[in-house]
Amino acid sequence: MGAPKKALKRKQGISKLKPDAESSKNEESNSDNAVDFGTEDLLAAELNGDGDSTDEEIEENEVPDSDAEQDPTIFDSDDPDESLIEFETGSEDNDSEELEFEEDDDVDDDDDEEEEEDEDEDENEEEEHENSESEGNTPPPKTNNKSLIKSSIGKEDSSNNSFSRRDNTVLDKMTERQHKSKNQIEQKSSNMRNTSRQKNSQKSVNTKISSIKPHITNLSSGADEYENDTSDEEDIRNTVGNIPMKWYDEYPHIGYDWDGKKILKPQKGDQLDNFLKRMEDPDFWRTIKDPQTGQDVILSEADIDLITRIQKQKIPDAQFDEYAPWVEWFTSEVMKMPLRKFPEHKRSFLPSKVEAKKVSKLVHALKMGWIKSTAELEKERAQKNKDPQFYMLWQTDDQPEEMRRIHKHIPAPKRHLPGHAESYNPPPEYLFDSKELKQWNKLKSTPWKRKLHFVPQKFNSLRDVPAYPRYIKERFQRCLDLYLCPRALKMRLTIDPEVLVPQLPSPKDLQPFPTIMSMVFKGHTDMVRSITAEAKGQFIASGGDDMTLKIWEVATGRCLKTVPCGGIIRSVAWCPNQAISLIAVAADKKVLLINPGVGDHLITSKTDQLLEIIPQSDVIVNERVKAAVQWEQTEGENWQKGIRGILNHFQNVKQVTWHGKGDYFATVMPEGQNRSVLINQLSKRRSQIPFSRSKGLIQCVLFHPIRPFLFVATQRNVRVYDLMKQEMVKKLLSNSQWISTMAIHPGGDNILVGTYDRKMLWFDLDLSTKPYQTLRLHGTGVRGVAFHKRYPLFASGADDRGLIISHGMVYNDLLQNPLIVPLKRLCNHESYNDFGILDVMFHPIQPWVFSAGADATIRMYT
Amino acid sequence: MAGKSTDSDVPQVQIRFITKQQQFAVPDFPLSVPAPVIAVELNTLVNELLKESIDAAKFIEFDFLVCSEFLRSSLAEHLEERGVSTEQVIDVEYLEKHPEPEPQDCLIHDDWVSAVAVCEKWILTGCYDNTLHIWTTKGKHRLTIPGHTSPIKAVAWISLGEETGTFVSASQDQTAIIWDWNISGNSVDCVHVCKGHERSLESVGVNYDSSLMATGSWDTMLKIWSASTQDDDDGESSSKRTKTEHGKTRTPKVTLKGHKEAISSVKWSDKSEIITSSWDHTLKLWDSELGGIKQEIPGNKSFFDVDYSPLSGTLITASADKHIRLYDPRSTEGAVVKATFTSHTQWVQCVSWSTTQDYLFLSGAYDNQVKLWDTRSPKVPLYDLSGHEDKVLSCNWSNPKLMVSGGADNTVRIFKSKYAMC
Repeated sequence: MGAPKKALKRKQGISKLKPDAESSKNEESNSDNAVDFGTEDLLAAELNGDGDSTDEEIEENEVPDSDAEQDPTIFDSDDPDESLIEFETGSEDNDSEELEFEEDDDVDDDDDEEEEEDEDEDENEEEEHENSESEGNTPPPKTNNKSLIKSSIGKEDSSNNSFSRRDNTVLDKMTERQHKSKNQIEQKSSNMRNTSRQKNSQKSVNTKISSIKPHITNLSSGADEYENDTSDEEDIRNTVGNIPMKWYDEYPHIGYDWDGKKILKPQKGDQLDNFLKRMEDPDFWRTIKDPQTGQDVILSEADIDLITRIQKQKIPDAQFDEYAPWVEWFTSEVMKMPLRKFPEHKRSFLPSKVEAKKVSKLVHALKMGWIKSTAELEKERAQKNKDPQFYMLWQTDDQPEEMRRIHKHIPAPKRHLPGHAESYNPPPEYLFDSKELKQWNKLKSTPWKRKLHFVPQKFNSLRDVPAYPRYIKERFQRCLDLYLCPRALKMRLTIDPEVLVPQLPSPKDLQPFPTIMSMVFKGHTDMVRSITAEAKGQFIASGGDDMTLKIWEVATGRCLKTVPCGGIIRSVAWCPNQAISLIAVAADKKVLLINPGVGDHLITSKTDQLLEIIPQSDVIVNERVKAAVQWEQTEGENWQKGIRGILNHFQNVKQVTWHGKGDYFATVMPEGQNRSVLINQLSKRRSQIPFSRSKGLIQCVLFHPIRPFLFVATQRNVRVYDLMKQEMVKKLLSNSQWISTMAIHPGGDNILVGTYDRKMLWFDLDLSTKPYQTLRLHGTGVRGVAFHKRYPLFASGADDRGLIISHGMVYNDLLQNPLIVPLKRLCNHESYNDFGILDVMFHPIQPWVFSAGADATIRMYT
Repeated sequence: MAGKSTDSDVPQVQIRFITKQQQFAVPDFPLSVPAPVIAVELNTLVNELLKESIDAAKFIEFDFLVCSEFLRSSLAEHLEERGVSTEQVIDVEYLEKHPEPEPQDCLIHDDWVSAVAVCEKWILTGCYDNTLHIWTTKGKHRLTIPGHTSPIKAVAWISLGEETGTFVSASQDQTAIIWDWNISGNSVDCVHVCKGHERSLESVGVNYDSSLMATGSWDTMLKIWSASTQDDDDGESSSKRTKTEHGKTRTPKVTLKGHKEAISSVKWSDKSEIITSSWDHTLKLWDSELGGIKQEIPGNKSFFDVDYSPLSGTLITASADKHIRLYDPRSTEGAVVKATFTSHTQWVQCVSWSTTQDYLFLSGAYDNQVKLWDTRSPKVPLYDLSGHEDKVLSCNWSNPKLMVSGGADNTVRIFKSKYAMC
């Protein structure tokens, strides 16, 4: 019964392990086979890899079951320490055993022999156990056994099984004590038997172990695994499971058997008992306590033998031939035909595209000479070594130093190479003569002006040349220079100055415009402050400091008429209404309305008639207005002179300007405070003061040619008032100190403002309140500006005597900004008291311009 | 002469002398002269040749026409300017030089003399002091005629007989007055006052048969009036009304509208054609019978004066620059300006053709100069007739022997033009 049992046992172990490891039925069958044909079984186990260790495991596990109750403590417990302690307490004297087991823990693989013995015992024990105790196998192992037996062994096993069954039932009723003793007895007997029986089985095991050994050593961690794995099989008698047994320390029992009955702890006995036992029992030293069952287990001879073998670090199986000839199960040679089931993949036959690309790249690079083959490199190197080697003596001078830390480093400027003068033996012409030396010495205070910073010296030989005394100083100064004068890349813009000049049409294409002086109107005896032209352009009128108004014929320059006005004439304005022949003249505090009596006689006479009659009006003149201005009818002498009306202002009138229709005219008194501006109506002989508050020193006013707007220029700004709505529409910011005069483009959308700070500002009312363009053409304050009524021309006169004609084209297309091209500077007036040109005016039809100068002349340019 | 400068390095030019003045004809063979030869040297050469041929004792001054322009620089330069090859034989036409006009007289007025007209031996002047003056060519003042109320801008003779003379004056007082002058009695009578212009008159022109006159004015109108002293043409009512006033008021026969600005000069080119110059940069040719514009010649400056030469059929104009331009109204294609005469430094105010010679004309300008021009010499005038101390306002060469000009220096200068030929 023993031998087959053992085999069965083994199988159990294998089978138990297998599910853990792989759980494949094939291998089970293999193991089955192994039972039948010894070596084959082993082989199979080996193939499985885990085979032998499983064996051990099983044995370990079963040890407690069989003989000694202490066995399980060794193999089974999760905590090796714990088990050790227990072990120690249990059997202190069994040093050797202890050691054995400890070692067993550490080196599972070595105690095969012992285990083998154990196995045998185990089997016995198992049997006995099964017989005596009803605990029996847990159902799964049972079935396992069953199946295994069925498959492999057949009858034997079945009988065995049935036997064990019976045992289980019988054993239930036995007392522990009995049980224990019985066990012991049985164990003994079985041990005896085992020794004899073992041999046949162990042989095979030995061979197995020997073959496996190298594998086992590798699987060092296997032991733990098995301990855990076998845990459920441990408890075939005690069903408490894998728990620390100390929990049952305080109870009389140690767990429960299969039927739920308590497994009582065996009688411990006192020290005396213990002592007696030791004295009496010859097997005491080999008795260990099974912590699971609390039973004492007496280790068999085989166990002891195994333990000692392990202790001695021998192969546990005594029969194992360590030096058996090597069976080369797997050849080490490389076989020609690979052992592969599937054919090579298709791509392994096709050339790789990626590789081809890489190769072609390399080939290309080789062709182009970007890379060189090692052979070529070798060749080159050889060539290089063969040739004489040269190097640049001044290489460092040529190449910029590598200063990686400095971004865009600029190397220090190189010093000049020494010349002949620096030579220790210069040609005699380089040596200073006395004069040169004197000169050199003279520049002592300004050494940088010297041509040479040293005096050339002549020595007979290089030996005589002394150390250069200024070496350190010069080096230091050079360093200072480099350090204190930061070097920077100068970005020199290569912009052609021509490019910066805006693309302006050539003045030639902008003709006609006045180019030469054609006429000088002489007759005034003092500065001519103001000029005005008749609408047809046949006559002009002028007035100035000589207090006379003069009427001139344009074509001939003939003064046709002179009207004394009794005051410095600051402004004259011809009435733009062609049905009236009238000139408004601002002479000191008076504004005279003068009929020049030139042109159409019908009109002049009509004008006279018109001004003779005083229109009757019911409107009571405002006190404020009355204080500012009074209308006066003229008679007698004044009438004879042509004066048809006088407006007596309370301040000096600086400017008089007509509205486009010729009925209204505005007068400006800069000192008039809040009554600076008056608007007078000719037809009703009435005046109004449009502004109640003064916004500053009003310089001049201007009527919009079309719309009812009034432009009022103070010192800094130009305000645009809507006379109908009586509100300010716009404020043009001149950004200059003092506005002198202004002119409006006949279109009414552009204003030219002249300032005393030499500027001319072109305002485009459609664009913004800031100047569209600022023209700085004059060297001094601008005194007069004027637009031509028909030609795209404007002119400006200044104190620098210059009259500048410019092309100022205003396009009907609102998207196109005005084009301004300065054309011509005419400078014919003479300076008088730092005054040059005081007024500028265009001929109303021809492209001719008139300038009134401080030199008492009016000049016409065509 | 030729041998005088036969240096080998000086290029030689082959010339052949020709002339239209038969009395100075020289043998017609080519001569070789050095290229840089100037007119004076040619002159001596011609005189030498003449001496050989006709044995004329007198030294005659000639002018030389090469390529129909007067030789004023050296021959080489002259040829180079005109791009003529020096390889060929060059025809050099020579003609007797126009003799220098001699200042004859200076008639002093009280004011600017703005208009002057000569007829045979009488000189009529208009002044800025509103008066007309009649002088003899000998410089004798015959008459002062007040009547206008404004400066007189133009005067013109209508007819001149043994006993009476008729002339017209245009003034800034918007009237033109036709005067009848009794020579022997030395009395003048205002025959007609031509009223109709709305602004000052600038010029007046009388046609060749003295039947019509035209006036141009600042009111841009051209008005045609009857120039006859008899008031047969007008209706009775108007003459009756005007008789009550001073003289007889005459109304225009035709008013021609077309100019945009003042008409500065009016000239009759034939019986019915009027040529006007205006400040609006145009010349216009009017048909007085049809009353319309025949032709318009645009310029680029205001025109101040125009004169028509019946001999050459061309126009010369004075405009608001220093150039005198020669227009040919007959040519329709190409440049209308045939030549530009530039020598004046200021506005040219008046021009006047010679009545006898196709090439000569007179110009007066604001640079105080009167210049005698030959159209064949556009760069350089023949002579500068200086003498005026102020702007020259008018000039007249109706009498071929007298060049008369009036200026702003209150004088009328008379230059005697000696006849060069014929």
